[in-house]
Amino acid sequence: MSRTSEGLTIVAASLLAAFGVALVNFANGGSVDAQTGLTFLVFVLAFGTLYTSVRVFAPRATPLLIPPVVALVALGFFEIYRLDPVRAGLQRWWMLIGSAVASLVLFLLSRGATSVLRLYRNLILIVTIGLLLLPNLPSDWAFPLKGLEVNGSRLWIVIDLGLTRMQFQPAELAKLGIVIYFAAYLADHQKALREAHRRIGPIRLPEPRQLIPLLLVWGGSIFILVWQRDLGASLLLFAGFVLLLYAATGATGYLVAGGMMTLTGAAAAASLFDHVQRRIVAWVAPFEHYQDEGYQIAQGLFALGTGSLSGAGPGLGRPDLIPNASTDFIFAAIGEEIGFAGTVAILAIFALVVSVGLGISFRSRDTFRKLLAAGLTFVMAVQVFLIIGGVLRIVPLTGITLPFMSYGGSALVGNLVLVALLLRISHEEAA
Amino acid sequence: MNGPIRRVAVGVFVCLSLLLAGVTWYQVVRADELRADPRNPRPALSEQGKERGLIVTVDGTVLARSVEDPDDPRSFVREYPEGGVFAHVVGYSSFNLGNNGLESTFSADLRSRRDLTISDLVAAILGRDLRPRSLELTLHTALQRAALEALGANRGAVVALDPRTGAVLAAVSSPSFDPETLLGDDAAAQWETLLTDPGQPTRDRGTRELYAPGSTFKTVVAAAALDTGAASAGSTFDDPVEFQLPGSDATVSNANGRACNDGETTTLLQAFVRSCNTIFADLAIQLGAVDIGITAEALGFNQDIDYVSPVPPAVWNTAELAQDAAALGQSGIGERDVRVTPLHMAMIAAAVANDGVALDPFVVRRIFDTDGQTLEETEISESGRAMTSETADILTQMMERVVTEGTGSQAAVPGVRVAGKTGTSTGAGGFSNPWFIGFAPVDDPSIALAVFIEGSEISGESASGGSVAAPIASRLIELWLSS
Repeated sequence: MSRTSEGLTIVAASLLAAFGVALVNFANGGSVDAQTGLTFLVFVLAFGTLYTSVRVFAPRATPLLIPPVVALVALGFFEIYRLDPVRAGLQRWWMLIGSAVASLVLFLLSRGATSVLRLYRNLILIVTIGLLLLPNLPSDWAFPLKGLEVNGSRLWIVIDLGLTRMQFQPAELAKLGIVIYFAAYLADHQKALREAHRRIGPIRLPEPRQLIPLLLVWGGSIFILVWQRDLGASLLLFAGFVLLLYAATGATGYLVAGGMMTLTGAAAAASLFDHVQRRIVAWVAPFEHYQDEGYQIAQGLFALGTGSLSGAGPGLGRPDLIPNASTDFIFAAIGEEIGFAGTVAILAIFALVVSVGLGISFRSRDTFRKLLAAGLTFVMAVQVFLIIGGVLRIVPLTGITLPFMSYGGSALVGNLVLVALLLRISHEEAA
Repeated sequence: MNGPIRRVAVGVFVCLSLLLAGVTWYQVVRADELRADPRNPRPALSEQGKERGLIVTVDGTVLARSVEDPDDPRSFVREYPEGGVFAHVVGYSSFNLGNNGLESTFSADLRSRRDLTISDLVAAILGRDLRPRSLELTLHTALQRAALEALGANRGAVVALDPRTGAVLAAVSSPSFDPETLLGDDAAAQWETLLTDPGQPTRDRGTRELYAPGSTFKTVVAAAALDTGAASAGSTFDDPVEFQLPGSDATVSNANGRACNDGETTTLLQAFVRSCNTIFADLAIQLGAVDIGITAEALGFNQDIDYVSPVPPAVWNTAELAQDAAALGQSGIGERDVRVTPLHMAMIAAAVANDGVALDPFVVRRIFDTDGQTLEETEISESGRAMTSETADILTQMMERVVTEGTGSQAAVPGVRVAGKTGTSTGAGGFSNPWFIGFAPVDDPSIALAVFIEGSEISGESASGGSVAAPIASRLIELWLSS
């Protein structure tokens, strides 16, 4: 794929978003209006900026990554617009901010390459931990930076400047910082971690001392689960680390140990915490608990089933009946309106994005860049699996956003920066 | 290092395949089950709040319209500005109770067709109008309102037709109900209230309920007699005070308990004009169940009539009555098991007025789009010749005499030649059900109608078709011909 066809595909995906908006208008008795035009313009402006930045700051990067990402954003956007036009207006701003931030990252990295990230890994870790702790700030003090509790979880911070209030979910950016730190740490200690192990019979077990980082991360995950009640971020953090640890060392023992720690943590959490128990009840028997715990999942499944093969049509289903339709349940909402045809397409596009991300990792010669590309892709893939799998009752619902598609500013900015990092690695490795 | 990454990649794609399997499971394999789950409100909701087309009368009165919901500009609410006057014809479109009446029968036209299916999309690109279609009815607002008003506190029905076309000019059932009360969240409770109302307002007495037609059925028996040549208007009959039903102890007598004429002989004309049961029981037995059945079925008995939705078939049981002379005698005066809707009796009057040719009734004149362009127009449809032209002529003369000098004198309209037939059938609980069917003007009929009152609690002469139903017919004919 040439750079030109990449650009044309971005324009086509922007048209797709505008077309979706027009269909939603049409379904509600409107027609092609300012919203349609504005959507097209914002998409072209936002992703055109990112595209131009890639041409300038990372010209040898793969042209295969931005088009599928824009297609995902477009498919998510029309559904957000359908559910809540006000949120869609905000999401358009976040698209512009996200691509600006991603372009800035590309510009900064063009000065010193991704190895700068490896160099400053400790600073990045401190900032990341700080970010993760921010939501635990008091919600009622006078300082303009406050924590916020939503639905029993502390994931949000509010920047309250009197007139304007901005909400932000720092975990979405912290996710990137953690992956960068892990990749740097593992690139440094790869040899030691790979070679130091004990054999007990046929199983290779890691040296106890080498398990310390694993235990630390596990502790961090538990912290997030207990004090922030964020099941999704907790699982994502731990799964991402274990997978990267395995990728770096090839030691199956880490997978086994990590899997057992996950199960132990999950079992303990399920027996100790109400909010985890409710999720498990809803997962096992949503229809039997239709009136309370199972309502959201049951509505999601009704939405998907009613959508069936071709969907009700954009704007013509009732995805608004699903609680949190524009965030956690965006996949079910889209499935109701554009049907099986649409959901299969979305899974295929995610598969393409994951393939491109892993391809960048495979082709990388530098260990840090290889691990960073793999880690970023894994974290995104795990997130996709956890949330769609939660909607489809394959795993308990964890309540995280669907990358590129859910409503949410911090998530979109974080994921576009993730794309920028992958593109930069791709450029450096093609040099 | 690519080895472990590749293995994780395989795991990632296995997970994505799991998602694909999950989506297939819920959107394909179990889709119908999930859609049909009683807890899934989507199928019912898909119609709610959508814009629906107008329903207007032929003179432009709006009977049903969709207006934007003041609380939600993307949603519409249905309004029925005429309240209960047209309720049984128009019906309602209620989220909680479903659709009823024309709102149900023509739902596919009335509803918005913007489903954004591929074919809709192509149609939209080609500039076709996907907005809901509207109905223009044949009903006349003034006549409809007057009919309901004339019924007053009575339970009953009026159906008026244009005998030249079959168009329904008025169709009311009393008491009625306001369809707007059935649209809100409390629809189920409101419906329950209507069901427990002793007046049974939800029942459409005009077109959905079968009643014994009483003496109005004598038009059918007379038509059969004239058509077969078994009798003419001047044919003479014995004139007993009581007619002894064969093979039975029961007798048939006249409303006033006396002989029809002088106790010696009488004519068919006299018996019809005075509505003598003794003579018509005798005549029915002489004609036989088969010959009456032929005329009755030519007039639509024992057949579905399509009007808004299928009308329950009128009952004339030829096979049973051929075996039972006593029952046949009672059936000849519209009692026993003969059953018919008021709409159907109006159609019979209309067939006589239309030179013996029966027409299919219709209430939707045309379907039009938002620009007023006609999309479909109902054409006049003959269901067939029910009696010869001569029979229709003679029957018309006999029916005119009913109004000028017989039981239907209160149906008279000054300066107008009115033809008609009264009836008073025995209803539930021994109450009498007064009837009047007729048409006007005799030389060029433009209205045929049936007036029916259910279970009049006053008995005797004052509760007869002639004294209760005929005056209503007179008022409506006068109104119709003066407008």
